[in-house]
Amino acid sequence: MKKILALLLALVMVFALCACGQQAAPAPADKPAEAAPAPADKPAEAAPAAAAGTLKIWVAEAIVDFTKDQVAKFVEAHPEYAGYEVTVEPVGEGDAASNMLTDVEAGADIFGFPQDQLARLVAADALIELSEENAALVAAENDAGSVAAATMAGTVYAFPLTSDNGYFMYYDKSVISDPSNLEAIIADCEKAGKSFYFDLRSGWYQPAFFFGAGCTLTYDTDDAGAFTKCNIDYASENGVGAMKALIALAKSPAFVNGSSVSNATNAAAIIDGTWDADAAKEMFGENYACAKLPTVKINGVDTQLGGFGGFKLLGVKPQTDEAKLAFCDDLAAYLASGEVQLARYNVVFWGPSNIAAKADPAVQADEALSALGQQLAFTVPQGQYPGEYWSLAEALGDDIIGGKYNDADDAALLAALQTFQDTCIGYAG
Amino acid sequence: MDEVKRGNAVSRFFRVLGKDLREIGQTFVQGDWKTKISFLVMGFGQLCRGQIVRGLAMLAMEVGLLYFTFGFGWQYLSKLLTLGTVETHKEGRVTVYGDNSFFILLYGILAVVAILALIYLWRVNLRQNREAEGLLARGKRLPSNRSDLASLLDKNFDKTLLALPVLGIFIFTVVPIIFMICIAFTNYDVTHQPPSKLFSWVGLENFKTLFGIGGEGFGGTFFYVLGWTLIWAFFATFLTYFLGMAVAILINKKEIKYKKLWRTILVMTIAVPQFVSLLYVGKMFAADGLVNAYLLKWGWIKTAIPFWTNATYARILIIVINLWIGIPYTMLIVTGLLMNIPAELYESARIDGANAFQTFRKITLPYMLFVTGPFLLTQFIGNLNNFNVIFLLNQGNPKSLQLSKNAGATDLLVTWLYKMTINDSNYKIAAVIGIMVFLVTAIISLVVYNTMPSVKDEEGFQ
Repeated sequence: MKKILALLLALVMVFALCACGQQAAPAPADKPAEAAPAPADKPAEAAPAAAAGTLKIWVAEAIVDFTKDQVAKFVEAHPEYAGYEVTVEPVGEGDAASNMLTDVEAGADIFGFPQDQLARLVAADALIELSEENAALVAAENDAGSVAAATMAGTVYAFPLTSDNGYFMYYDKSVISDPSNLEAIIADCEKAGKSFYFDLRSGWYQPAFFFGAGCTLTYDTDDAGAFTKCNIDYASENGVGAMKALIALAKSPAFVNGSSVSNATNAAAIIDGTWDADAAKEMFGENYACAKLPTVKINGVDTQLGGFGGFKLLGVKPQTDEAKLAFCDDLAAYLASGEVQLARYNVVFWGPSNIAAKADPAVQADEALSALGQQLAFTVPQGQYPGEYWSLAEALGDDIIGGKYNDADDAALLAALQTFQDTCIGYAG
Repeated sequence: MDEVKRGNAVSRFFRVLGKDLREIGQTFVQGDWKTKISFLVMGFGQLCRGQIVRGLAMLAMEVGLLYFTFGFGWQYLSKLLTLGTVETHKEGRVTVYGDNSFFILLYGILAVVAILALIYLWRVNLRQNREAEGLLARGKRLPSNRSDLASLLDKNFDKTLLALPVLGIFIFTVVPIIFMICIAFTNYDVTHQPPSKLFSWVGLENFKTLFGIGGEGFGGTFFYVLGWTLIWAFFATFLTYFLGMAVAILINKKEIKYKKLWRTILVMTIAVPQFVSLLYVGKMFAADGLVNAYLLKWGWIKTAIPFWTNATYARILIIVINLWIGIPYTMLIVTGLLMNIPAELYESARIDGANAFQTFRKITLPYMLFVTGPFLLTQFIGNLNNFNVIFLLNQGNPKSLQLSKNAGATDLLVTWLYKMTINDSNYKIAAVIGIMVFLVTAIISLVVYNTMPSVKDEEGFQ
C-alpha cells in the first residue's frame, strides 16, 4: 500500500515538474509542438481544392466586428473564395508585429500594424511585397505620406489603412488663452496649477523638438529591410537648441511626462493622438479644444514644433500556396480600399489615408482630425527605425527628466548629443 | 590543493574508463556467441537465456533510440555543425522555407542525448550478459522474468519511483538548459531569426561583446547592472530580515496588546497579489501620482519629486517598497522561531544582569542566524532574480545614454535579460547573461553555504 502511495506521489511530482519546467523554458518546449507540423500541413491542405483552407486575420480589438462584417461582405461578392474559412482575431497592432516575429509560420495571414514596425517585419520576411497592380492602386488612391510609409527601398510592402497616427495638442480652453506658443501655455499652466503633458521619453514624441529645430533623423534600408545608413544631425547648433528647449520644459513644475489621457490627472494640455479624442472630450468637457503643436523659442527664434506623421498599415504574410495568396491579396486590398476606410471612420473614427475618403464631409468636420491635419503639414512621414532607437530615445529622455543636464553648458549638451548620434549611426550597417 | 584534487578526478576518470574498456573487451573475448551477438543486437543474450523481459526491454529501447536518432533525428543531427545552409528563398511570389536553425539545434541536441543514452544502455546490456554468464558458469540459476518484474516493486523500487521524475526533469529542465547554453555560442538575434534566416555558431564572440569595454563591447553596462543587482539583493535580503525580526520581537513582547490584530494587518500585504499592489504603488509614486499630488496640494513641495526618473531616488524607493512586501514574510517565520527559543536562556541572562540589547545579540540573533541561515541564502538568491518587484514597479528605468543595450539604473540582470529577449530579440546575449546569472548564484550559494554555521556545526544549538 505504501509503495502505491509513493508511486502516486512520484507521479504527482512529475506533473508538478512538467508544469514548472514548461514555464521556465517555453521556447524550446512549446515551439516544436506548435510550429513543426505547419510547413507539412499547409501545402497538403490547399492542394486538392484550390479554393479551400483557413485564413487568419489579426486586427485591433476595436475593429474586430467591423472587419468580420466586411470580410463577409467581400466573400459574398466573390463566391470563388467561399471555400475559405476566415477567422478574425483581436491582436493589438503593436503586439501583432512582435507576435509575427516570434513565430512567422503560426502568425496571421493578414494583419494590421503601425508603420514603424515595417522594417522589422520585412527583415524577418513576415511581409510579402504587393503585386504590381495593387502597388500602383495604393500609390494612386492614398496620400503621399502613407504610401511612403508603406514603402521600403522602392518596394510597397503593405496597404495603408489610416493616416491619423500623429500627434497634436488637446487643451483646456478655460486655462490656456493662447495655444500657439509653448512658453505662454506653460505660463498659463503654472499660474493655474495645472499640468502640461508631453511624452519626452518617447522616441516618437521627442523628435517634435529636434525636427522642429531643423534636425533630421532617418534611416536608409536595403531590399531585405536591413539598415544601411543613418542620416542624423542632432549633434549641431540646432540640436543643442532643441535640447535646451526640452530641458527648460522638463524643469517647469507644470511639466508631466506622459501622453495618455487615461493616466493624466490635473491636465490643462496634453500632446496626444486621435485615439484619445473621446477620452479628452470627456476630460475637458465643454472646455475641450484641439490645436496643432505650439511654437517654442529655439536659439532665440520662435520655431514651430514638428514631429512624425504616422500611419497604420495592413500586411500579408508570405504564403506557400498560390491560390491562398491570391485570396489574401484581394481581401487585404478590399479591407484597405477607400470605401471600407470611410466605413471604418464612421464606426471607430480612424482617419482615412484614402484621398477620396478624406474629402468626405464627415471626416472634414472632425475637430481632432483637422488639428492633426494642420500639424501633419509640419511633420515628416515616419520612416523605418531600428528597434533600439526607441530605447535609446527613452534613455535620452530619462537623462533630461532626471535633471542630468540641468546645469550643463553647450559643450556638454553637444557631447551628449554626439553620443546619441554616434549610437544611432551604430545601429545601421 | 585544488590542483591535486582536480588531477585526482581526471586520473580517476581515465582509470575508470580504462577499466571499463578492458571489461568490454573481456566480455567479448570470453563471452559465448549469444553475448557476442548482443554487442550488435541488444538483449539477444538475455532473450536466448530466457530473460524475456530484460531482453525485450533492451531490444525495444535500442530500436526506439536508433529510430529516433537516425530515422527522425538524422536530418537535424547531420546539420548540427553548421546549423543549416539552405536559406529561405522566393520562387516568384511564393515562399519556399529552407533550413530552420532553431529546430536543427533543438532536435540535434535531442539526437545527441539519444546517442549518449544508447551508449549507456549498450554498456548495461553488456554487463547483464557478463553477469548472466558468470552466474551460469557457477551453476546458479538466472533471475526469472517474474522476479525481475517483482524487483521493480522491491529491490529496485527506487528506480521505478525515480524513472518518471528524472525523465521529466531531463526533458523540461536539462534539455532547455543545454539548449540555452548552446544559444550563447551562436549569433541568434534579430537579424538571424528562423525560419526565414539561418543562425550559426560563432564561438566565444558573444562573451567578448559582453565583457568588452569600449567599441562594440558593453562591459561597462554589464558590470554596472551586476553591481546594482548585488547591492539590491544585499539590501533587499538583510533589511527585510532584520526589520522583520524587529517587528516580530516587538509584537512578541508581553506588554503589547492585540497581538493578532497587528499580525493580521501586516499579513494583509501578502493577501493582495503582488501584481496588483506593486503596479498600484508604482503608479502612486509617478510624477503625477497620488503621493506627488498630495505633497503638492499640501504645499510641502514646489515641484514633483522625480521618484522614478532620478536613478538614486528610484533605487532607494524600490528597496523601501520591497521592505513593505518583505517584512511580513520574515515576521511570520521569525514569530514561530522566537517561541522556540528556550525561555530559561533569557531568564538566566536576566539574572546575570544582561540588558535587552545584550540578550538579543547573544541569544536571539545567533539562534536566528543559525536556524534561518539556509533561508537567508535562498532569499538572497531569490532577490538576485527578483523580477516582479523591479519590473512591476518601474521596468528597470530610468535609462541613460551612458548605458548601452537598453539597460536602466534599476535593472537587475534578469530584467535586463527579459528586455533583451522581448524588445530586441537579442537571444544570443541574453543567453550569455543567463549563464552569468547562473555563475553568480552558483558561486555565492556554494561559498556561503559551506561557511554557514548551520552546515559546519549541525548540532550547535541542540
